[in-house]
Amino acid sequence: MTAPTLLIRDLTLGFRGWAGQVDVLHGISLHIMKGERVALVGESGSGKSVTARIVLGLLQQLKTARIGGRVSFEGQDLSTLTERRRHALRGTRMSMIFQDPTSSLNPVYRIGAQFHEVLKRAEPGISQADARRKAQAALADVAIPDPARALDSYSFQLSGGMNQRVMIAMALANEPSLLIADEPGTALDVTVQAQTLSLMRDLVEKHRTSVLFISHNLGVVREFADRVYVIYKGRIVEQGRSADLFADPRHPYTRALLAAVPRITGGGIPEIDDVSDSYFAPMVVHEGCEEPGEAG
Amino acid sequence: MTALLSLDRVSKTFTQGRHEVRAVDDVSFDVRQGECLAIVGESGSGKSTIANMILGIYPPTAGTIAFKGEMLPAARTLAHRRAIQLVQQNPLSSLNPKRTVGASLRLPLDVHGLGERSARAARVGELLEEVGLPADYASRAPDALSGGQRQRVAIARALACQSDLVVLDEPTSALDVLVQARVLKLLNDLRKDRGLTYVFITHDLSVVRNIADRVAVFERGRLVELNPTETIFSDPHHPYTRRLIGAVPVVTADEVRLRDRLMENENERA
Repeated sequence: MTAPTLLIRDLTLGFRGWAGQVDVLHGISLHIMKGERVALVGESGSGKSVTARIVLGLLQQLKTARIGGRVSFEGQDLSTLTERRRHALRGTRMSMIFQDPTSSLNPVYRIGAQFHEVLKRAEPGISQADARRKAQAALADVAIPDPARALDSYSFQLSGGMNQRVMIAMALANEPSLLIADEPGTALDVTVQAQTLSLMRDLVEKHRTSVLFISHNLGVVREFADRVYVIYKGRIVEQGRSADLFADPRHPYTRALLAAVPRITGGGIPEIDDVSDSYFAPMVVHEGCEEPGEAG
Repeated sequence: MTALLSLDRVSKTFTQGRHEVRAVDDVSFDVRQGECLAIVGESGSGKSTIANMILGIYPPTAGTIAFKGEMLPAARTLAHRRAIQLVQQNPLSSLNPKRTVGASLRLPLDVHGLGERSARAARVGELLEEVGLPADYASRAPDALSGGQRQRVAIARALACQSDLVVLDEPTSALDVLVQARVLKLLNDLRKDRGLTYVFITHDLSVVRNIADRVAVFERGRLVELNPTETIFSDPHHPYTRRLIGAVPVVTADEVRLRDRLMENENERA
């Protein structure tokens, strides 16, 4: 069996501050196989975004961060890489899509120029003409009606949905093996969000890109991910295939979280505790969703 | 049921240089005494413009707004401002960070001269307890509270005025789902206990399903459908309503079936 695209084992994170160390992650383990869409779902402060930042190698430089455990990307232990090598992975082998597309794009450069920068990450010598051709093809892939016009536009001239498509096209332009999507589409209208997600799903399926999908929205997760990890206060509490987990949530926290989502079929607003000791119950692993053995 | 608030052929046009944007286009509807009326739509639908006109932040370009059968003037009196209150989406920016929670709650009591001066401090404590917070939170600053607690303070501030109508502008969109459930519960209980009337502005249809009595759907400044919540979700009349419900990310198989059924109807009619 080939190594998973991403393997996280017993990852811990603490921040050292004036009042001592604050522990944020308490030993989380997860993996993503090639072409798999895996969601990390939790509330704000659960540790989902910092996990993404560690995978990208962005927190390692922070002097106050204390990171333990192991993160392997395509079989390579990230902690053995120099900062330079980690930097070289970003935007080429792994890329990221952020929540708010409009603020992720630079408003003083045209989309075309920013796209050129992205393509230069993988191919430093790429010519203006080649970059433009590639960018047009990439924008056509995300169903942007007039790619040439989009490339000559500034981000503020495009709608939020269009900007999100541009971000997706940029993130996938260098054919990364891992795409990290942090709350994509949360800032968009529901109809636009639905379109963007299905577009993104088709594309990653086509390229067999592995995805780490970070979200607090259970509905979006159910529709996008093959497998789900539920994270609560820096601990994974339940993991399983989406279909199993949503049909049969077993951990008290997952159950509360799911029960709290208002239904379009009605049923009123449930009575739920926002804190409970039972939320710290041991992790539940659904059948066939164990972490791979120590090898890997 | 009688109408507490009536909008009659209300339009709002914003001009920017030579550009004219018709944000709200010839809209008429009533908000009934004691109901929760949801206003839903996507960005650019005009839902916030309607809220701002109801609150008197700016007057309509055309049309009239009546409150308790009386025409609301462009310049609102203190009494009008007391009677219609607002709870905003982000309590961190709607509460003054330099003021303690108690001072923020005390201000409307002083401005509107509500209750005996000597009883107002105690009233602040009561208000906090009514929204499920300990009375001693009055001495805290907003940044010492969690998001959900801050939203409770914002709700308490709207209650302080003993208003009849509360405009809730995406009151739970910034909250985590567990916190959202508790805040929605609180809003529901308060409405029942005090006979409040809500105009609930949101893009989240699953919240609407569970809190609103009637739903007004807006698309690009126009009111395209206004129906009881039951009807909106079982037999929506307007294609845009069906599209909106069809796009809601859902978590149960029952919901998927409902969504599929509505979208099937949509395709048949198309």
